[in-house]
Amino acid sequence: MRYGIGFKLGLLLASFSLVAMGIVGYYSYASGRATLLAAAQRDLLTATHVLGRNFQANIDAVARDTLLLASLPASSAMVSSPESMPAGRDPKGLSDTFAAMMAAHPEYFQIRLIGADQHGLELVRLDRDDGKLVPVQADNLQEKAHYPYVFNTLQLGRGQVYLSDITINHEEGAHSGLHKPTVRVASPVLDDSGKVLGLIVINVDLNGLFDRLKSDLPSAYQLYLSNHWGDFLIHPNPAEAFGFDQGRRIFIQESFEPVAALINGKSASVVTNIDAIQQAGNGLVAAFIRMPFGGSVQKDFVILGLSQPLENVVRETSKLGWNTVQIILVLGVLAILLAALVSRAVIGPLRKMVDAMSVFSKEHVVNELSAARKDEIGLLASSLNDMQNIIVANMRDLNESRQALEHLAQHDPLTGLPNRALFDDRLRQAVSQARRDKTHMALLFVDLDAFKDVNDTCGHHVGDLLLNAAAKRMQACVRHADTVGRMGGDEFVVLLTHVEEDQDAVLVAEKICKALSQPFDLDGRSLFIGSSIGVALYPEHGSDELTLSRSADAAMYRAKESGGNRVSLFGS
Amino acid sequence: MNLRLLLLIVLLTLSLPGQAVETLRVLTWPGYADSDLVKLFEKQHGVRVEVSFVSSDEVLRQKISANQGGNFDVFAANTAEMQHYINERLVVPLRLANIPNTAHQLPRFRKLQSIPGITRLGEAYAVPYTYSEMGLIYDRKQFVQAPTSLAAMWDPKYQGRVLAFDTSSHNFSIASLVLGGKPFRIEDKDFKGVVNHLIALRRNVLTFYTLPEESVELFRHHSAALLFANYGRQQLKLLRDAGADVGYVIPVEGALAWLDCWALTRGVKNKELAESWINFMLEKKVSSELTRRQGLSNTIEVDTEAADADKIIWLEPVEDDKRRAALWGRIISGDLPGRF
Repeated sequence: MRYGIGFKLGLLLASFSLVAMGIVGYYSYASGRATLLAAAQRDLLTATHVLGRNFQANIDAVARDTLLLASLPASSAMVSSPESMPAGRDPKGLSDTFAAMMAAHPEYFQIRLIGADQHGLELVRLDRDDGKLVPVQADNLQEKAHYPYVFNTLQLGRGQVYLSDITINHEEGAHSGLHKPTVRVASPVLDDSGKVLGLIVINVDLNGLFDRLKSDLPSAYQLYLSNHWGDFLIHPNPAEAFGFDQGRRIFIQESFEPVAALINGKSASVVTNIDAIQQAGNGLVAAFIRMPFGGSVQKDFVILGLSQPLENVVRETSKLGWNTVQIILVLGVLAILLAALVSRAVIGPLRKMVDAMSVFSKEHVVNELSAARKDEIGLLASSLNDMQNIIVANMRDLNESRQALEHLAQHDPLTGLPNRALFDDRLRQAVSQARRDKTHMALLFVDLDAFKDVNDTCGHHVGDLLLNAAAKRMQACVRHADTVGRMGGDEFVVLLTHVEEDQDAVLVAEKICKALSQPFDLDGRSLFIGSSIGVALYPEHGSDELTLSRSADAAMYRAKESGGNRVSLFGS
Repeated sequence: MNLRLLLLIVLLTLSLPGQAVETLRVLTWPGYADSDLVKLFEKQHGVRVEVSFVSSDEVLRQKISANQGGNFDVFAANTAEMQHYINERLVVPLRLANIPNTAHQLPRFRKLQSIPGITRLGEAYAVPYTYSEMGLIYDRKQFVQAPTSLAAMWDPKYQGRVLAFDTSSHNFSIASLVLGGKPFRIEDKDFKGVVNHLIALRRNVLTFYTLPEESVELFRHHSAALLFANYGRQQLKLLRDAGADVGYVIPVEGALAWLDCWALTRGVKNKELAESWINFMLEKKVSSELTRRQGLSNTIEVDTEAADADKIIWLEPVEDDKRRAALWGRIISGDLPGRF
């Protein structure tokens, strides 16, 4: 009964409600997470597009500056007559113009005027060196014709701008720009006849530019930039950027597989998640776009991307998840309490019924159950009450029938005297008793004389009345403790216990004989019968019931043979 | 009970034959030990092979130096690097008798003494496996006759149509070769001449490339005539795949070449097994797969395009790589000759 129906019912109710709450909680958590992820991806993609446009707008502004400087008459004059104006000499004051422009644009590392002749010798060059602007002296000017930004730009026409690939600037003597990621924006300088004689180059600090652009974005956003092969140019971990510069290739499409679709031109933007399992540490949500960017002849694009830690995105969902768990825990406790109450309400009356039933089965005492309730429990209680009453009534009937049957089995139905079976039993007991107590007793066989004649002449009805009356007379002659029995027909037996003297038994027999010899007034007539009575004494005439019976029987026959209506003591 | 059962399972698992087999620890370069070939070796020898890859000489040095070579049994390094490992006593001599396939190698790889840097005091420390020489790739349309000398790179006829590689060491070596000097041992007094010759090269080239793909784009879009093939025949294949009509020559001065060799670490656990691995790598089937898959030359078969007479100069450590790098940095930046 420890884990009875009450406990089970409570458990079922509690677990059902917990499971239901768990499922609802999980789905709201999962869909919340997916919604937040999608929203974060959308936001990131938008931010990436905005960042890309801002970057292009900045590059366009640099391009306009380059064009402006290239179109200055002073630039044209410098490249037209390099002999009259040798490198490092700046009679036109171009340096001052460069300085003004660099002061306004902190992301400019360097502005140069390069001539087409003399292997691309720099004619005017202004470098940034920390806070200062340094005009480079004639001796330190260098030949640059073998750099793509020179030989590519020299092939352009008026008003055209060249954007270099993004590389690390290893050009020695470049001051602040040395070994820094750099974009070179260049435009040709033409003479009056339209011949390209030189170029203006502005070196742009890529990281500085992106740091400025990125300052508008949430600080958790991380920036990625790759060239059209996928080599990282900007990576949150600086060691991962410009791998090719140290002889190894670190490709964006290996870190972010979907980006491959941007590189092969299959799509213009992708969003992706990287789970914490893939990414040692934390997961990421990222968006990438393919952004047009000059430089290489055919593949003129770069990949720009932003990422955000997955943790930031799903922090809200984590909170939601935790809240759900808390709610489920609290509701779970409530559910258990409620289940306990409910089960008690149901189980209390049931327990009472069980107790009543067990008392009833032990003691057969009817405990009236309260059937006041109108529900199934009340119905059950009243049914149990009815059942108890019916059982009690049936048991009473059963007992009565049993007693009647028992009586019927042991008594002669006509006279009500013990029959042979009961008498034999009593005789056996009496013999045992007498043997144990060393007392005397007597057995009398009584046979009615001429009973057959009565039966024949007056009919069985009268015969029966006669037997009945004879039985009553015999009973009247003996003590209460003695037994008169009917063996069948007109034969009766009498058992006299505790006979003091042998003569006492004979006296009782004679008393019976005398009583039976009196006339019987039956059915309007007076009938006379007599009786032959044989007496046997214990232990003189038999020490066991069989011998005793034979002795009594033999004595009775002797009495009958002697003419009847007399008493005969065995052996006399 | 459950715990005991688990313990039993763990013990049974540990005692399975899989754990009992020997493990060979191989450190090598991507493409040198493809998994299908490794499986074949494992099957032949009933061992397990654990392959780790490196992508640069520096990383290789780190990994072999760690634990005094005790983390690996056998590894591949180029001839210029082998000196370092022998000096540091991180490698042990090989018993060539245990590597019978060396008998099938091309003659130039059988004479180990003639390959600088892999023998010492008569002991062989490494066996050549694969190589790539840095020949010249030329445009068949612009060259009536194939160039024969590295000097073609300096030829004013091709000014602005030569592509050289942005590297300090090799450029000094080839400049020295062209000037008739030794590639890896430039005398102090000769440096100025070599520097000036490199400035002359700078003035003659279109540009100095870094990446193989970059060289292909430059070659095609600037009608280059001549290219110093730092990446060897792999680069030739890239250009031909891109549709360029190009030829490849080994210059008369000789082509610099790296030669990757197999060597045993000092920490080798089972020397016989490690030598079997080297022998396996030199089987004709395995070596020709390397050529087929990676486009690298092997040491067993004669490349159809390579002639036996071709002069190959195996890379050696140079006299002072820091000095070369510093000077090269200034040369490529465009410093005028007067400043050196």
